[in-house]
Amino acid sequence: MWVCPNCQEAKLGYRRYCRRRVPLKPESACALSLLLSFFTTEMAETKRKTRDYNNRQGNKKRKVSSFKTLKSKSEKNNNDGERRKRTGPRLPNALRKELEHMGRTNRSNSDDEEIDSDDANDVYEYEEAIPEEESMKNRRFDPVENFEYELPKEFKDENVASEDDDDDSDGEDDGSREYQEGDEADGSRHARMLQDITGLPVEAFEGKKRKNDVVLSEAYPESEYNPSRDVLNGDGRISIQDLVDPLHGKSGFSKLRKSMHRMEKKSTPILAPLPKADREKLERKVTYEQSKKDITKWEPLVKRNREAPTLYFDEDVDLGFSTIGAIASEFEPRTEFEKKISALVNDNEVLEAHKKDGARLLELNKISVEDVKDHQDRLAKMRTLLFRHEMKAKRIKKIKSKTYHRLLKKDGLKAAVAEMEMNPEAAKELAMKQEFKRAEERLTLKHKNSSKWAKRILKRGLDVQDEGTRAAIAEQLHQHALLTRKMKSMKDNSSSDDSSDEDYGDDISDSSDQDRASKLLEKAKEKTLGVINEDGEVPKSGVLSLPFMVRGLQKRKETADEEAKLALEEYESSLKQLEGKRVIENVKKGTASGRRIFGAAKKHVEDSSNKIKVDNYYGSSDSEDNLEAKEDIDVDRSNNFKDEINFDPDLLREESEIGHNSFFKSLEDIVKDAGPKTTYEVAIFAADSWKKANNERSKCEKVADVNMKNSSKVDKPVLHDHDIEDVEDGSDSDSEGQMVDGILSSGTKPTYELPSQADLIRRAFAGDDVEDDFEKDKEQVLNEENPEPEKPVLVPGWGQWTNIQQKNGLPSWMLQEHDNARKKREEALKKRKDAHLKHVIISEKLDKKAEKLHTKTLPYPYTSKEVFEQSIRMPIGPEFNPVTTIGALNRPEVVKKAGVIIKPIKFEDVNPHERGEDHKRSGQKKKKSTGGSIKRNTNKIKVK
Amino acid sequence: MGVRQEDDINAKIIPPKEQIVATNFDLQEISDDIEIKVKKYLRGEGANLEVLHDKKLKGQLAVREELYGKSAKAAAKAEKWLMPSEGGYLEAEGIEKTWRIKQEAIAREVDILSRKNQHDIVLPELGPYTMNFTSSGRYMAVAGRKGHLAIIDMKSMGLIKEFQVRETVRDVVFLHNEQFFAAAQKKYPYIYNRDGTELHCLKEHGAILKLQFLKNHFLLASVNKFGQLHYQDVTTGQMVGNYRTGHGRSDVMRVNPFNGVIGLGHSNGSLSMWKPTSSAPLIKMLCHHGPVSALAFHSNGHLMATAGMDRKIKLWDLRKFEVLQTLLGHAKTLDFSQKGLLAASTGSFVQILGDFSGSQNYSRYMNHSIAKGYQVRNVLFRPYEDVLAIGHSMGWSSILIPGSGEPNFDSWVANPFETSKQRREKEVKSLLDKLPPETIMLDPRKIGTMRPMRKKEKPSKQERDAEMEAAVADAKNSITRKKKTKGRNKPSKRSKKVQEAVERAKRPFLEEELSQKKKQKISEQSELPKSLQRFVRKAA
Repeated sequence: MWVCPNCQEAKLGYRRYCRRRVPLKPESACALSLLLSFFTTEMAETKRKTRDYNNRQGNKKRKVSSFKTLKSKSEKNNNDGERRKRTGPRLPNALRKELEHMGRTNRSNSDDEEIDSDDANDVYEYEEAIPEEESMKNRRFDPVENFEYELPKEFKDENVASEDDDDDSDGEDDGSREYQEGDEADGSRHARMLQDITGLPVEAFEGKKRKNDVVLSEAYPESEYNPSRDVLNGDGRISIQDLVDPLHGKSGFSKLRKSMHRMEKKSTPILAPLPKADREKLERKVTYEQSKKDITKWEPLVKRNREAPTLYFDEDVDLGFSTIGAIASEFEPRTEFEKKISALVNDNEVLEAHKKDGARLLELNKISVEDVKDHQDRLAKMRTLLFRHEMKAKRIKKIKSKTYHRLLKKDGLKAAVAEMEMNPEAAKELAMKQEFKRAEERLTLKHKNSSKWAKRILKRGLDVQDEGTRAAIAEQLHQHALLTRKMKSMKDNSSSDDSSDEDYGDDISDSSDQDRASKLLEKAKEKTLGVINEDGEVPKSGVLSLPFMVRGLQKRKETADEEAKLALEEYESSLKQLEGKRVIENVKKGTASGRRIFGAAKKHVEDSSNKIKVDNYYGSSDSEDNLEAKEDIDVDRSNNFKDEINFDPDLLREESEIGHNSFFKSLEDIVKDAGPKTTYEVAIFAADSWKKANNERSKCEKVADVNMKNSSKVDKPVLHDHDIEDVEDGSDSDSEGQMVDGILSSGTKPTYELPSQADLIRRAFAGDDVEDDFEKDKEQVLNEENPEPEKPVLVPGWGQWTNIQQKNGLPSWMLQEHDNARKKREEALKKRKDAHLKHVIISEKLDKKAEKLHTKTLPYPYTSKEVFEQSIRMPIGPEFNPVTTIGALNRPEVVKKAGVIIKPIKFEDVNPHERGEDHKRSGQKKKKSTGGSIKRNTNKIKVK
Repeated sequence: MGVRQEDDINAKIIPPKEQIVATNFDLQEISDDIEIKVKKYLRGEGANLEVLHDKKLKGQLAVREELYGKSAKAAAKAEKWLMPSEGGYLEAEGIEKTWRIKQEAIAREVDILSRKNQHDIVLPELGPYTMNFTSSGRYMAVAGRKGHLAIIDMKSMGLIKEFQVRETVRDVVFLHNEQFFAAAQKKYPYIYNRDGTELHCLKEHGAILKLQFLKNHFLLASVNKFGQLHYQDVTTGQMVGNYRTGHGRSDVMRVNPFNGVIGLGHSNGSLSMWKPTSSAPLIKMLCHHGPVSALAFHSNGHLMATAGMDRKIKLWDLRKFEVLQTLLGHAKTLDFSQKGLLAASTGSFVQILGDFSGSQNYSRYMNHSIAKGYQVRNVLFRPYEDVLAIGHSMGWSSILIPGSGEPNFDSWVANPFETSKQRREKEVKSLLDKLPPETIMLDPRKIGTMRPMRKKEKPSKQERDAEMEAAVADAKNSITRKKKTKGRNKPSKRSKKVQEAVERAKRPFLEEELSQKKKQKISEQSELPKSLQRFVRKAA
């Protein structure tokens, strides 16, 4: 037990904490083992109560501290005899006896001493809880009489004695010890009784009694190892009083004493320390409270940062230099070179000279003699080098060795090749050179065995020559071949030309073919013409000049002429054909590709006439466009053919006349056809303000109007263009050929057409079944999107065993299922957007491709679709928002410049309420101002 | 520009005028004005934050909403103060009617620049003309039916290029800028550049009747003689869609500028709307009892006008697909101006309808009749100008319709004074911003929202059973009985074999069923806490 030295009584109240920290005087290590064995045996046999007590007592006395102190202390241990017998390494018996002698007197004091020494070596502690009933905590248990303590009175002695007896093996000392033990046991029993009665610890009663028991054995001189009796009694201790006494009478003594008195009076027992766990818990609690208080001050700050849409970490970073001048001013020369330069630049003399005038500068410009000399030397050296080089070149030039020059040439060639690879210009030059050589070779045939030498050899025959000669000849030929070989590199341009020709491609190939043919034909024509025009040069003499011979010749010539003429005609016709083809092709091209065609194309007369004939067959019911087309043709023809086709003008004229005739004919046909219909009134429409080119057209118009009148029964008279265009499309094919030239006939060409009969009928009855059709359509779509449930079908053989079942019909569950399905479908139909719109079908098909434009799930913080969709209703792009707000709308959560170090958060005072309000405005405020208060405040904070 | 001008016919023509920033404006009026505009720019209501339980989300959304509000306000202010001019209009006094005012009367009152916009180009030869404007209204492509193609700079009234293709040209349309245009010719559509060089022949399209270009998607849409609708991506040349409309020939086609949906009018009086990624029409509606003759979309996407052969012009609300107004009269061609005026034309008569009450109630605004006998083929409002171009059989004319064009252009959207550099930059930018074809949908605002509920597409149990039975029957039939050695052909062996085959056939179906059940179980089991639920992978 740990007690304040001043007042041992105080401990009485604290029995509850029945944990003992008893430092045991350590005798030896084996003392501990002995002790353990003692306990085990003892505990087995004693009652719980007594054991408890013994433990308390015994524990007090045993302790292990260190083995080293044992020996030094063993000698002065004479006074704690009781303990000694239970401990450690035995002393020799004789010695022990002697010690017992001496120690008998002061043994009883040992406890006290123990207690004192407690403070020092508090090494081992044993804690044992008092049973709750005994501790009388909370009065949870009924007060129970301690019956057990009535019993000990009967067999008190045995019990206590046994505790000591068990233990020991040195029976010799039994008698004397028993006596002492009895003595002590008496005391302890008394104390125990007192304790049981009062509920106070034993020590409370032991104190006074023991004090007197101290026996001093002054066998040794007093030293620190051998304490005097005073010391052992406790009297020899230096008290405060002792310290204070010498001060008596000095100034301030009374004051000191007073305060001491006060302290003594007030001095309360220091509480027994709490168990470590509890203490720590308490400590933690306090720390928690403290830190909580400490931390709450951050709350508004953190809250503000959390709520802020943007945090700024862009403290204004000072880059230091803003201008080049500023940077330059800081420049310090570091390298040798820089230092030199700066020395020169910053030379005072130079600076001054600059400031003053040029004369001073000139003075500074002086050159030393050495410099000049150096320069001259260098020049001289260069000159000599040059001279030597010249000499060398001369010598080389003079060398006549073939091999040397050959090698030189080779080198040169190599260099040239290398250069050629590098330099396109050089390559070009080389190629030119080669080309020249080639031309030369082809011209002179120098290497084609044309030399005297070669001729001679060939004359002699190659076979007879020796190998060297043959090789030489072969070499020469090879040379020739090499030289005359076409150079690919030089053909670059031409080949590119070729390819570009090919690019023109298909268009031209055909025509070029034809061109060739026509050229041939033309040549043939010329020749035949030549033959025809050839004067029949009749020989004036000889056999041929004979009259019959002349006649025969003439006849022959005539036939030949005729043949030639025929041939000529053939040629001409075929030429025409060719040209015609070309025109047609052009036309076709025009029609097929829709390309514009530049330049007037020629037309084959027969072809166009054919066309016109064909047109005639079209009959009158065709549209007016045909007429126009024909007209176009005529005009075209007359234009073109006059200019360009100079053969057979007669035929052309005829043809065109035919064309016109047919045109008129067809018009007449139309009029005739329309005849029965003209009974209708046409005057209204005839009164149009249009220019009328000719009678035909006006007639035609009338016809058209009449027809329109017919159609106008259905609709307004003016409604016709819809179909006009259709018809026009049909007529396109006809008119196309005529539009080739782009030079079309002048005058207006109103584009009226007559809707076909079927069309008219359709239009007349248009509104009749449209609705029904649409309804059917809708039904179909609905069925497609919400299919009707299948009708329940009985599987043959099921449920048809008896007539009754047959009569019952389908099982009810089937019907029910069907009913459900139908209801579901109806509901689905009702839910459709077009459910109440009779004339609208809104497709409810899902577009799988568009699915990726929707979110699959609600994004995290949102819990309702509406809120989410409303939150994204505003576009935040720059196209939709003013520049002033676009930044705010798209500001990231954290704004930070690259390279800025984010410092840890610092505390600052934030008024939470004010902040809260401020915060609402903060969104806008921040955007606008770069230096708003919030910004300043938050710039060092990162809360994420 | 000018102030109000008195004129002798007691009517007033108010030309587009610059806004005068006056100090003595009624502040109340201004704030009201701005409020309306703010509402416009807010694009609908914000979410109701009171309902939210998540405080953090609530806070975030509140901040967002405030930002939106701020942005809308800034936009409204910019519109209020920075937009220089407001549209002009005709104002009748007393018994005067706006539709009695002739072009000559207007011409007397307007400035020289505007007067230049009144002109007739007489080109009698090459048939009725159709035209198309670039989005800025600066350039006009003109196509004569008989092969005349031309590009005209409308600012300088200079002819940039003119040539003849010598075959029928049915339609012409500019691509993304004036550098390219497509012409629907007799057999195929062709793409030419500004200099008239043919760049492409789009043979896949066939004989095209009508062409449209979707600027944001870079799609060239066409409908051909056989009623086939083609979508071709002009940047890659890829054919994006090729669908049969199933209603025969149709030459009524328009793009809804709001969402890129294409409307097609059919001869059975129905109208279908298409997008490039679905083979079925998005919408099919019966508009008229006769064939649909013309179609036009308002630029806000809500309003559509159709005209039919049944002598009716109908205005439709495209949000509800209901008729707003039915007007009597025929129209061969229709067009909405940027400010919502509707031009309709038949024969040689052009009528402009206007909605002045603000309640989608269109009434007569102006009339114009060109020389008799001229057959109007196409009317088209010129963007950013109060001009209506009329293509007819004798060339084309251009008349002034006060209040038709948007007076303020956004140079980032369409700049009539674009330099070539700006044009290039814009081309690149628009290419980068090109939208994929699947973004075309009826309501493009739905992009980014939750995916619509998918209808269950797995086969019903009956179907599955039927499938399994078929498979079993197949398996049974597939067993061929060979003449085996003695003992191999015992009935027991045979039946065993059949049994095995049947089981093999059944296995996949049964396994599938099992796995489905398992999945169900798993999904039932895993009732995760809310915060973790988002990590659960949805069964695809």
